[in-house]
Amino acid sequence: MERNLSLNRRSFLKTAGAAAMVGTTGLLEIPKKAWAGEGRLATVIDLTKCNGCTDRERPACVSACKKIKAGHIPEPADPIPLPFPTRKVDDWSKKKEAFNRLTPYNLIFVQKAEADVGGQKKTVFIPRRCMHCDNPACATLCPFAANHKFENGAVVIDQEICFGGAKCKTVCPWEIPQRQSGVGVYLKVLPTLMGNGVMYKCDLCSDLLKENKTPACIEACPQKAMSIGPRKEILAKAEELAKRIGGSLYGKKENDGTSTLYVSPVPFELLDAAVQKGPGQPGLGPVKRRMAGTDAMGKAVLAAPALGIAAGLAGAFAFISKRKDKSGKKEE
Amino acid sequence: MSEWIITERNRVVRHGWIELAGHWAIALSGLLLLLSGLFELPMAARYKITAIPGFGWSGDFIISLYIHYVASVVFIAAAFFHLAYHGLLRDWGLLPRKGDMKASIDVVKSFFGFGEEPPFDKYLPEQRLAYLGTAVIIGVLVLTGLIKTYKNVYAPDLSHALVFWATTLHNLFFVLFILVFVGHIGAILLKPNRPMIRGIFTGAVRLDYAKHRHPLWLAEIEPLTRPPEKMPEADIPAAAAASAPPAEGGAEVAGDPAEGTIETAKVK
Repeated sequence: MERNLSLNRRSFLKTAGAAAMVGTTGLLEIPKKAWAGEGRLATVIDLTKCNGCTDRERPACVSACKKIKAGHIPEPADPIPLPFPTRKVDDWSKKKEAFNRLTPYNLIFVQKAEADVGGQKKTVFIPRRCMHCDNPACATLCPFAANHKFENGAVVIDQEICFGGAKCKTVCPWEIPQRQSGVGVYLKVLPTLMGNGVMYKCDLCSDLLKENKTPACIEACPQKAMSIGPRKEILAKAEELAKRIGGSLYGKKENDGTSTLYVSPVPFELLDAAVQKGPGQPGLGPVKRRMAGTDAMGKAVLAAPALGIAAGLAGAFAFISKRKDKSGKKEE
Repeated sequence: MSEWIITERNRVVRHGWIELAGHWAIALSGLLLLLSGLFELPMAARYKITAIPGFGWSGDFIISLYIHYVASVVFIAAAFFHLAYHGLLRDWGLLPRKGDMKASIDVVKSFFGFGEEPPFDKYLPEQRLAYLGTAVIIGVLVLTGLIKTYKNVYAPDLSHALVFWATTLHNLFFVLFILVFVGHIGAILLKPNRPMIRGIFTGAVRLDYAKHRHPLWLAEIEPLTRPPEKMPEADIPAAAAASAPPAEGGAEVAGDPAEGTIETAKVK
């Protein structure tokens, strides 16, 4: 309780300080550390602020992510076992420094979009990483429960359990997870017949969240374009900002909701058309949650025990009743 | 539940239509669950199963999940129906009895020419043991499957420990279910068991076979004699009643088809 009070006081002071700064910047000044690791979180990425760190060798968020995740992938087996029958492996270990797309060694990258808005050319930079969906098929459909959504909203792959079958990538509407072959538990089972490495993606710096710290990319952003906080608060602020700038939101409705909200002055259909898309370079188009089509049948599965018991009891009582009728007639 | 002798047709009704429907609901939905469950592993595309005509859908995890759900509704409802129906009617003939383990070993030995088969009741001792084993496997699969489904529909952020153990047990018991399925098919293909195959399709087996192999069961149902006009027609599996060819002898059968036209019945 004491801790909460102190956090709230800190939150209040931060918010009050931010409010005093007036302007759009104040809208996203959410007390990051005070709320990290508590309840359902969300992040907002303000594209009016992100400048892609064009003055740097590579964006600060990318550098911070690479730094904190350095060494998280063990050295792949040499040679990497060739999976039967495809004989295709994904090996990024020789291209660790690549930062123009998502790779197992690059869990966030910044897309650039040049869009024509009302005859005016606008350049928008968009940091891209896992959206941490509200009901992520990548996690719920993982056949080994290696990928899981936690209460704080982070969707995390356990690299000790993952077999690298890439099912998560197949069912992700943005194909975010990336595979490194030659690492992981599959090497100890049937390396050529089952699995093909480990899948990697942003885990929202889960370890930092547990320590009540802010994810590295958010902490490192010199423009303070990214914020993390309680979901409701972040959503309200993102909507407020979008309304204020006459912009658009991405991530609120996509895939039936995500924990990542982009606020852009340029409509996302224009950004989607403008960004370079391809493997490891997701688009920004509308996304429906495909698994929603199975929810009704899933509910029927949950009702099946009651259905079976009801039918069983009805059948048994009917049988007993018929038997009684017959024995009654026989006695007559 | 419905068992009676049709002497003139050389048949003994072994299963009523409810038992047949329950068996085939579990068997066919179980087969579909095995297939769609396999396709929930990322293997269909890798092993080119998607290229097999008619199996294009196997690489789509959402379609496989939908099929898995549809089959689960039938499978789970049938399993709970079985528990409620037979539990309430106290129909526990398939539950293992004392001495079944030793008797099962003797039966298996006899399949390979060592010793004679003991006289059987309606079910063989290894059938009763297999039933319990299968029931445990199905129970774990259903329970863990329900947890996984609840997670998919309502609570993707369910406790990771619970989801991990539910998933791991579901996978392990899925493998056991495959083994049980293969064992079940293997058992009915053994020569002495083959006459029972007719029973699971039509509800009735040959009377001469039952006399030879299931005398304890026949002794139990024979005393309850009733004239033909009293026979509960509604309980006769349609296939058994309709086909019913005349008595036939079998190479593996020692007894002769009994003569006579009196039909005996037992309705529990």
